[in-house]
Amino acid sequence: MDSQRLKASFAQVAEKGDAVALFFYSDLFVRNPHLRDMFPIGMSGQRDKLLRALGHIVSQVDDLSNLVPFLQQLGRDHRRFGIVAEHYPHVGASLLATLRHFSGTAWTDDIESDWNAAYGLVAKVMLEAADENALSSPAWWNGQVVAVERRRFDISVLRIQPDRPLPYTPGQSVALEVPSRLRHWRYYSMANAPRPDHTVDFHVRLVDGGPVSPVLVRGTQAGDRVRMGAPIGTLTLDESSPRDVLLVAGSTGLAPLKAILEQISRRAVPPRVHLFFGARSRDGLYDLEDLAKLADGFPWLTVVPAVSDEPGGHGFSSLLHSGDDGVEHGNLSDVVARRGPWDGHDAYVCGPSVMVGHTVEQLTRLGVPRDRIRLETFTDAQR
Amino acid sequence: MNSPNLPVVSEGSRLTPGELQSVVFARAALGRRGYDEEQVRNFLQYVERELVKIFTDKAALADEVNRLRAQAASGGRGVMAPEDAHFQAVRILSQAQQTADLYVADAERYTRELAHEARLHREAILSDAKGRAEQMLEDAHRKAAAVAEAAVRTAPPQPAPAPSPGSGTLPDGERLALEREIAYLRTYSDVYRTHLRSYLEALLRNVDEWESSERASLPGGNA
Repeated sequence: MDSQRLKASFAQVAEKGDAVALFFYSDLFVRNPHLRDMFPIGMSGQRDKLLRALGHIVSQVDDLSNLVPFLQQLGRDHRRFGIVAEHYPHVGASLLATLRHFSGTAWTDDIESDWNAAYGLVAKVMLEAADENALSSPAWWNGQVVAVERRRFDISVLRIQPDRPLPYTPGQSVALEVPSRLRHWRYYSMANAPRPDHTVDFHVRLVDGGPVSPVLVRGTQAGDRVRMGAPIGTLTLDESSPRDVLLVAGSTGLAPLKAILEQISRRAVPPRVHLFFGARSRDGLYDLEDLAKLADGFPWLTVVPAVSDEPGGHGFSSLLHSGDDGVEHGNLSDVVARRGPWDGHDAYVCGPSVMVGHTVEQLTRLGVPRDRIRLETFTDAQR
Repeated sequence: MNSPNLPVVSEGSRLTPGELQSVVFARAALGRRGYDEEQVRNFLQYVERELVKIFTDKAALADEVNRLRAQAASGGRGVMAPEDAHFQAVRILSQAQQTADLYVADAERYTRELAHEARLHREAILSDAKGRAEQMLEDAHRKAAAVAEAAVRTAPPQPAPAPSPGSGTLPDGERLALEREIAYLRTYSDVYRTHLRSYLEALLRNVDEWESSERASLPGGNA
């Protein structure tokens, strides 16, 4: 397999953009109509994903130490879609047909055998990882909603009881599927450390125009069923670190950090923890009540709420809130920076991508080494 | 009596060169020369029929060739290789998918716009409520101040310089100011409470209406 030839071939095909993925899926479904049911009606997001994954795979094709773990994860991930071994050759055939179609006269027997070899490798690694994963873990977990708390018109906290223990590390997330939006999987973080009864909490914010989050926030009630994929994610606590901890959460980005906070609280000697919880307005601080309770109970914990879009200090609202309740004003990253120094801390940041970007920027400028900052952004994945 | 090897060919099957070569006619009857006349005549008729059939077929085939040639020249697609049929199917499915994607995107944009408008509406209602509340406060403040002013202005003449035991040491001016302050605060709190109560009641009605209309728009709870 000539990896340079392969990359050149893919670069030529990839120039055609969306048309490539469109052809691929149409070819796949014409040859195997039964596979159509495994995908959502709207396919544009799916095509983006395919092109991104292909691009990633091809660009890493001569760096197996990076590519293999990626493919293994991809293989494990695909189990929840109901993908099994017999689907792989179909996908391979359609992929080859697509590449041949878009390569035109550039297609040669050599290129064909390159692609065959590459796909053979990809399928083998994915399948082996999926098979190995199947020994220890189900393809998905069924869950039942046991409680829904509407915290604001667009934010709900759901408590879900999985049908069997869901083993995860605080800070991780799972893909969630609701029956009324089949084939749409969205990632949400568990907002608690594992409990004896195995229930997990999710903080869900409604994204305008999204197919999934409006159903979760406004149309879900106790008794409803969901499906969950395997837990993933690297926004987890560095257990070996002796340093103090800084948690920075924007909106429902609070969920994974709250789970980490809970994990810390179970230690015999917790480090000092600062939790900054930011939103645009005061009613966006949907979990402040509970955080304040925690801060009262844990002398090592400081909670700093912050709002960015509301001026502080006067008028009717401040009267209702009886003056100073410790809410800071300004961009979350600025509020965090004001309260420094943080260079002796491990930082964990989660929230909207802009907020996460600014916070990381500020922290590194204030001398926090980049490798001590763990982060996750909640963007379109949440809809 | 027919010769056994005379081509007795059933209708529909074809005359072949082999059959022609193997034709043997019977000799004519005694006293006559040559072959049996009837057999020869029968055979000739058979050959003629065959020739007519061949010419008809040939003409039909020539027509068919012309038709196909014309069709190929004009780019018609009456006949399609299996591969082309597959591409055609892929193309049709692609178009259908693009249409579906378009509908989904439109629906998404529509709900996004709707939600955006609703949010703006909500902001407007909130800021209106805030504005009204501030206005109410100011209003209450003004009324209370006026009432207090009036109360103080009418009160002083009666208990003029009588030094009562509690406030005996207070100079007149200060006592007056305190009384004015107390009267102001009482009236202010009365007026404000009344205002606030009626406003909150209106708000509650609003929330009730909101909830019932929301319930109506979500049939079954998880639509």
